[in-house]
Amino acid sequence: MGRLRRSRTHHARRDVHRLARTRVRVKDLDQIEIDLRPGNRAKLERQEIDEDKPGLGQHYCVECAKYYETDLALRNHTKSKVHKRRLKELKEPAYTLKEAEGAAGLTTDNKQRGVEDVVKKFEGMSNDEQQKKEITL
Amino acid sequence: MRIEKCYFCSANVYPGHGTMFVRNDAKCFRFCSSKCHKNFKMKRNPRKVRWTKAFRRANGKEMVVDNVYEFEKRRNVPVRYDRELVATTLKAMERVAEIRAKREKAFWKNRMSGNTAKNAREAALSIEKHIELVQPKSKTTPNLEEKEKIREKIKVRAASRKLMAQQQIDKAGGASKKKKESRLIPAEGGMGMGMNVD
Repeated sequence: MGRLRRSRTHHARRDVHRLARTRVRVKDLDQIEIDLRPGNRAKLERQEIDEDKPGLGQHYCVECAKYYETDLALRNHTKSKVHKRRLKELKEPAYTLKEAEGAAGLTTDNKQRGVEDVVKKFEGMSNDEQQKKEITL
Repeated sequence: MRIEKCYFCSANVYPGHGTMFVRNDAKCFRFCSSKCHKNFKMKRNPRKVRWTKAFRRANGKEMVVDNVYEFEKRRNVPVRYDRELVATTLKAMERVAEIRAKREKAFWKNRMSGNTAKNAREAALSIEKHIELVQPKSKTTPNLEEKEKIREKIKVRAASRKLMAQQQIDKAGGASKKKKESRLIPAEGGMGMGMNVD
């Protein structure tokens, strides 16, 4: 296979290892998805004054999970490429562990079952197999 | 004992293997290898990384809807021990794996059937690569006497063909075109393969 992505995409992202440390970890897309729900969003956009947060926690971008110092900085950010890219990423539902398991063919079943159920299901499948054969013949 | 699935590539994670990351909201992420863990730290989307199961499933590279996938389940309800149940389950597991392999193979074959050009190219390439395995040309080529015989045969065949062509031209000149009879032997009590439509 040829090149999948264009080159020179590492601009100003030199120290990948330091950014991958757990203590500098930022919110994941599935967490942001929860933040975007109407009630949560309103709460995050109107936070109480917090001296520990940048800009006293008054200028927060929910999609990018980032605090800004001033309103102007936040407005400039919403116009930026980074923000628009994030919006695009958030359009489709976030990847979850459930999807990972589903891809491997593992789902959850919390029913109590006995031998009969197993036999029934197994027989149902072998019948299905026979039907498939008949169709092909 | 529970065999977990890798969050990134959906491979099996056996007890004592892999890494687990617990996020500050108490969600667990298991990884089969450091490769998957690193990719997760880079915040890559498994749906867009070609080697993950999630990508392969989402892009039609593998079977998605099939009832062979309805057997492996995470069962959070403890099942009362039953000797017969264990025996049937073990038997079923074997058979299910067999059927699954068969169906997956059929799916793969169907998926790959489209690219005949690619197959031909690959065959040519492999011959070129392993040319020493092919029988040398000098062995297969006939010697002078045999060559002479073959040439005679060709000459005779060409002459007869020429004659036939001449005859056909003569017939066509007579403007009485007769339909060519089928050379296939007709089946018993039925029509032959060459049908007379009129």
